[in-house]
Amino acid sequence: MNRHIVVLSLLVLGGVMTTTAFIMAFFFTPPVLGPAVTNEAGRILGYQPLFSQKIFYFHVPVALASFLVFFFTAYYGVRFLMTKEKQYDTRARIATEVTLLFVILTMATGILWTRFEWGRWWVWEPRLTTYFIMTLLVIAYFVLRNSIEDEERRATYAAVFGIIAFIDAPISFAITRIIPSSVHPVVLRSGGGLTGSQLAAFLIGLFGMLMIGYALYQTRVREELAHDRLEAVKAALEG
Amino acid sequence: MASEARGLGVRQFKAILRKDIVMELRTKEMITSMGIYALLTMVIYQVALSQSGTAFDPRNIAAGLLWLAFVFTSMLGLNRSLVHEKDQGCLEALLLSPVDRPVIFFSKAVGNLVFLLIVQVLTIPVFAFLFLQEGSYAGEWWMIPLALLAGSVGISGVGTLLATMSVNTKGKDFVLAVLFVPLMYPLLLAAVSATSAAVLGGDGSVQQFWTGMGMMAGFDAIMLLASFALYEFIVGA
Amino acid sequence: MDPVLQEIYTLVVPAIPYVAGAYAILWVALVVYIGMTYSRVGHLEKEIAALEESLERRGVGM
Repeated sequence: MNRHIVVLSLLVLGGVMTTTAFIMAFFFTPPVLGPAVTNEAGRILGYQPLFSQKIFYFHVPVALASFLVFFFTAYYGVRFLMTKEKQYDTRARIATEVTLLFVILTMATGILWTRFEWGRWWVWEPRLTTYFIMTLLVIAYFVLRNSIEDEERRATYAAVFGIIAFIDAPISFAITRIIPSSVHPVVLRSGGGLTGSQLAAFLIGLFGMLMIGYALYQTRVREELAHDRLEAVKAALEG
Repeated sequence: MASEARGLGVRQFKAILRKDIVMELRTKEMITSMGIYALLTMVIYQVALSQSGTAFDPRNIAAGLLWLAFVFTSMLGLNRSLVHEKDQGCLEALLLSPVDRPVIFFSKAVGNLVFLLIVQVLTIPVFAFLFLQEGSYAGEWWMIPLALLAGSVGISGVGTLLATMSVNTKGKDFVLAVLFVPLMYPLLLAAVSATSAAVLGGDGSVQQFWTGMGMMAGFDAIMLLASFALYEFIVGA
Repeated sequence: MDPVLQEIYTLVVPAIPYVAGAYAILWVALVVYIGMTYSRVGHLEKEIAALEESLERRGVGM
């Protein structure tokens, strides 16, 4: 029971924190200042505000959270292969489910931002490309699961694929960054350093999102366990 | 003692590899199916490029087209090679015999690599004949084989693991494609970059080539190690 | 509200409220999904508790 209270409070706290970060980002936090704007004489008139940096407060926390949850797919995959216990397979599957949700959110927020910042709906930019690939990997994980009937085999294959997909994701990111793409020039504007209130908004958003991710994962695990119990009770009632 | 075990492993490896190659020499099934598939891809390329006009030089996308053909033919080949094993009960028989699991992985992967390389060697002249003008190859001669080898090692290594999984699913070749393409994405990107540098030449092409090769080597090393370690669980399930 | 931001929203980039709105919709969708999951688990557990109780009673009856 205690654990449920912890999960619920993390959920509420995470919600409050991400909402706070969101409101702070769009209403209160001053924009990061970019390159200087000068007049003809070369005198600095002011600094160009960078809006691309606002992406930090929602998109980046979701992206980081999705990657962290994906780590648990691989982690429970390893645990399953070591112990062959069914619960680790369930946990890995739920972690992947939460990853899928977060990856889709990352993609959606990312696409909105490219449209807004760069005027195009889709740019083959390293981060977006990596997340596109990650979405496909997570979908592939569920395709693989759905096409195997034998329970133990399904669990083993899913664990193996989860591990290898988790290894693949950072490689994919590294290679898309290093290999020059001649078709679409990478337009990346990097913001300057974050000032106090900006950093605060970012950290609040990040930790809030991690809390939500954890609480969502735990809630889904609880639901699966409840399903198992229901099956057991049903079997007992019939038998 | 240890060297004896190693000698046994090498003998087992050779035996399985020889079995695959002898069977292929007898039936010629893999090479024919993969080769014809690659040829058909060329026809599709002609259709795809038919409206691109005279100003368009296929040389610019030659590396991409080549690897596209190799991706599809290798998926076909990987699926076939493992379906054979399964249908004829070879894999079960191998598992019952006291052969180390890593030996099974390596012999299957090397077998697939050999077939893929043969198909590549057959495809490239045809591709060059159909789409590239004379003397349009700008890089050093050894660049292409090196890039092909680095890419093919990753494809056959990880592909063997994935195909062993996919033949035991309901979807078979569809599942293989779904697992294979996103996992291979970084390798293919590097392979196309390196091959393209070799074909096009120009300033900085040597550096681009070696960057691509380095990326491929890194991918191959990491992913082969992972596939090698995980293969035991796959054949055990 | 930050005065610089206020000015930018109204004068420089009027599209920003829409982007913020789209983000807000995504955010609300996530919250609704989590809320639904949470209440579903609660119902399920209550149901199971009732079933288990009836199972116990039947056990006593026999």
